[in-house]
Amino acid sequence: MNKLYKNCLAGGLAGVMVAGMAIGAMAADIRVGITMRMISENGQKYGQMVMDEIDMINKSGGINGNMIKPTLMNDECKSDKGVANAIKLINQQKVHLLIGSTCSSVTLPIVDITAKASVPQIIPHSTNGKITKKGSAWVFRVPVSGRFYAGVNAKYVGENIGKKIAYLCAADAASQNDCEAMQKQMKAQHGSEPAYVAQVQEKEVDFRTHMQKIKSAGVDGILIAALAETMARALIQSYEAGIPASVRRIGSSSASNSPVPTIAGDAAKGVFFAAAYAAADNRPIARLFNEMVKKRYGVHAPDHDFSQAYDLVRIVEIALNNANLKLDSGSLAADRTAIRDSIASIKNYEGLASGPISFCAAATPQCRDGNRTAVLIAYSKGGKDYKTEVLARVTMPADFGL
Amino acid sequence: MALLDVTGLSKNFGGLLALSNLDVSIEAGSIHGLIGPNGSGKSTFFNLVTGVYQPNPGSRIIFDGHDITSSPSHEIGSLGIARTFQLLRLFSEMTVLQNLMVGYHTHVSYGFLTTLLNNSLVSKADAETADEMMDLLEFIGLADFAGMPASELSGGQRRLLALGRAMAMRPKLLMLDEPAAGLSPVNLDNLLSIVMALKEKFGLTVLIVEHILKVVMETCDTVTVLDYGEKIGEGTPEHVKDDHAVIEAYLGQEMDDEEIRAAFEA
Amino acid sequence: MTAVNSIIHSISSFVDKLNAVHRMLPWVLAFVLLLPLPQILAAVFNDYYIYLANKICIFILLSVGLNIVKGFCGQVTVGHVGLYAIGAVSSALVSIHFGWSFWLAFPIGILLSGIAGLIVGLPSVRLEGAYLALATLGLGESVRIMIAVTPLFGSSTGLLSIPEPTIGSFVFDNYTKYYYMVMTFAMIGIYLSFSILRSATGRAFMAVREDTVAAAVHGINVAKYKLLAFVISALYAGAAGGLFAHMPPGYIHHNNFTIIEMVTLLLMVVLGGIGHIWGGILGAIIVTIIYDQTLEFYFIQPLLFGMTMILIVIFMPRGIGGVIDRYFMTKKFMKIREENSDGTS
Repeated sequence: MNKLYKNCLAGGLAGVMVAGMAIGAMAADIRVGITMRMISENGQKYGQMVMDEIDMINKSGGINGNMIKPTLMNDECKSDKGVANAIKLINQQKVHLLIGSTCSSVTLPIVDITAKASVPQIIPHSTNGKITKKGSAWVFRVPVSGRFYAGVNAKYVGENIGKKIAYLCAADAASQNDCEAMQKQMKAQHGSEPAYVAQVQEKEVDFRTHMQKIKSAGVDGILIAALAETMARALIQSYEAGIPASVRRIGSSSASNSPVPTIAGDAAKGVFFAAAYAAADNRPIARLFNEMVKKRYGVHAPDHDFSQAYDLVRIVEIALNNANLKLDSGSLAADRTAIRDSIASIKNYEGLASGPISFCAAATPQCRDGNRTAVLIAYSKGGKDYKTEVLARVTMPADFGL
Repeated sequence: MALLDVTGLSKNFGGLLALSNLDVSIEAGSIHGLIGPNGSGKSTFFNLVTGVYQPNPGSRIIFDGHDITSSPSHEIGSLGIARTFQLLRLFSEMTVLQNLMVGYHTHVSYGFLTTLLNNSLVSKADAETADEMMDLLEFIGLADFAGMPASELSGGQRRLLALGRAMAMRPKLLMLDEPAAGLSPVNLDNLLSIVMALKEKFGLTVLIVEHILKVVMETCDTVTVLDYGEKIGEGTPEHVKDDHAVIEAYLGQEMDDEEIRAAFEA
Repeated sequence: MTAVNSIIHSISSFVDKLNAVHRMLPWVLAFVLLLPLPQILAAVFNDYYIYLANKICIFILLSVGLNIVKGFCGQVTVGHVGLYAIGAVSSALVSIHFGWSFWLAFPIGILLSGIAGLIVGLPSVRLEGAYLALATLGLGESVRIMIAVTPLFGSSTGLLSIPEPTIGSFVFDNYTKYYYMVMTFAMIGIYLSFSILRSATGRAFMAVREDTVAAAVHGINVAKYKLLAFVISALYAGAAGGLFAHMPPGYIHHNNFTIIEMVTLLLMVVLGGIGHIWGGILGAIIVTIIYDQTLEFYFIQPLLFGMTMILIVIFMPRGIGGVIDRYFMTKKFMKIREENSDGTS
């Protein structure tokens, strides 16, 4: 390295350090760690949106003059990576708050980590019921828990479609949960047993054998519980197998993700599902959100993963504004506790969610599953410019499905 | 008593009869040659005796009193037969010394459990073996290259290594498969003198497969001649040289004495 | 290159001096030096690096085992994560359902993994190359799929709340305490690998790798050694699995045992030096650290990894361990040459 270069580098470094210290002296940062599944196109957009929203909060003055410093990490929907990310964010970045994660199989172990480290954790997407049953006082769930969806779906299905239902269940945690819960609810509400149950791989490509069997079973409806791409494939193949449109296809919660209608095309028409948010929602706030997402991220009818990530940032903003934060070198534990308590005191937050979101302090699912309202949405049109319509909106009691 | 006694040895490869009803008997302490044109079954014979292939039913191979007709290669090796290959088949990524240490495998005194539990015993035994192998390398002239990977040796050195590796087995019977092929006269003489010296020093019985007659004539006590999988001649080199069937097999025609002498001295 | 050579030289002459005193001395010294690592990491960096040290120890066990069967014995196996999974799931289940202590569950996981290793190894007696790769790949994936579809093995939710190991009232419930345990097992694993590979067994493995026919005629029971290599590697994988399962937060999911993990493991062994005794150890350390330091560039990581693999195979096919081995081979060769020119010739 020649001397001139070395000198410039040293000078530059010194300058940066001085500047950094100067900034640091003025106001302290609120450090937020984010770990999400960002391997799909949409996954990356959710992450990007969270970062953009935080950036805008900072640009309009931050939280009482303090800037939010976010660190975004990808856990690829793998539990060991999620755990590593969480530990890193907690110990290296020393975050005040952890946002995560998308996949239930990643969130489940992280709950233990945040509980042990006494760091508040707010969940953007995971729906598996066990997450809030662990008794952690540090975890908060923004999406609608899987235990509510099945009740909504089962009610509508039993009353409007029929009681003879076939189940196609993929191996991922959320789908398994949805399948189980739906079967349980159909039995509890209508006394009906499943006409056919098929277990398939998370990324299964060939459903033909199952479709043939389902066709000959003569069912009223088919529940397809799988991640978006897999579900789209199954839908296409259900029509290829010759199962008529009169046999209603019911989607699990991932049916709300845009790859389902875009990939399945016409096969998505008539498919309905319970979700936390409908792009066809008429409320002004929903319309504004849809426009924003279209403009910024090129997605024309955002699913509830978008809306929940958005609501999460808004809830975090409210909680941070209300928390009494010292943000000095010795107050990390106290600040974390303050943020936790602040989130717990949020009552009746009205945002994009189809109903109010409320938390409370007890370490119970009733308190930690803040969002209890589902909408029943159907695709009225499939393909790239898909359209949805709202069939019904249902708020479930807090202890439903426990 | 014969060290190696082969009776009725036959081998089919699908429709091809590679060896047909072969009887060969090798006396302990002798050097025996196995000659014949290409394709006469010499390498097949080697592979059958050392368990690389299994012979047809009806064949019998007795070595040192043991019936090894259907034994697997590693058992035959531990009974005392060592062999080299035409293509050498050296352990290329291992060093010269390591190649010999592998040859010594059947004489290793410790077992797997000892390897796990008593490593100092293993180190000591290996060090002693290494010393012995270095002596062997000295004898064959490769001591300077002990730490070199086998892949980096020259052609002649590789031949010597193959020989050394076979000798590391402390065999009773040493079988050499076309050791002369492609060697310059100097290297060939060197190789042969080493083989003779080894035989004297370690009391070996040697079986050489060759199709270069000069080698066989100069070194062997007895010679068996094969052609198309059958024995067509047997006896001392002198006797075999004059056998008309042998001449015909090699040269394909009747010749007079002048031409024969010229051919054999080529 | 000479800088590297002089580093290796100074380390190896130091180790030689220790060896002269007692052959266990380098090992004891290494163990003692590694004991305060958690405290050092916490002071210089933060607690996250203690977690990373734990992971590295577990990866060392996996890589060392894989290197034995693949690098030294030359058997193409890409099902190694399946054995890791069996060790993890068996140990976890036995503790969760029967309530047995880790000290009973852990050996059971290792044993079951060893038996599976025997089964995985059986095709190797007959198959080679691409065929063996397919067979082992199929077996490895089958294990993961079995876990994914069987509720008892966790299926989609995974196995939660796997109990932490305890000794009396001492619970291994944080990464510093857990480190003492995994580091000890990793050192034992490394020590045993050195013992095995620097013995007749190790040479037999290499001979099988180089040429099975030649090995056989020199008295080596090829089938036996292939199976032995598979079983040994499986025992290492089973140990790694058990240690992974009981590590806080005590959660395993079939996603932990995919082909991606297998490829990462292969990268460790190849980068470290396939078939070289330090290969597994170096590879585990370097790959874990590089992976961690590039986490911020998550969108580029798969590309980075793939390119690293390709570059190593092209420019440094023997890996880093190969460079070290080559140094020692050259040194020994020079030494023997000197001895001979001084002495007899």
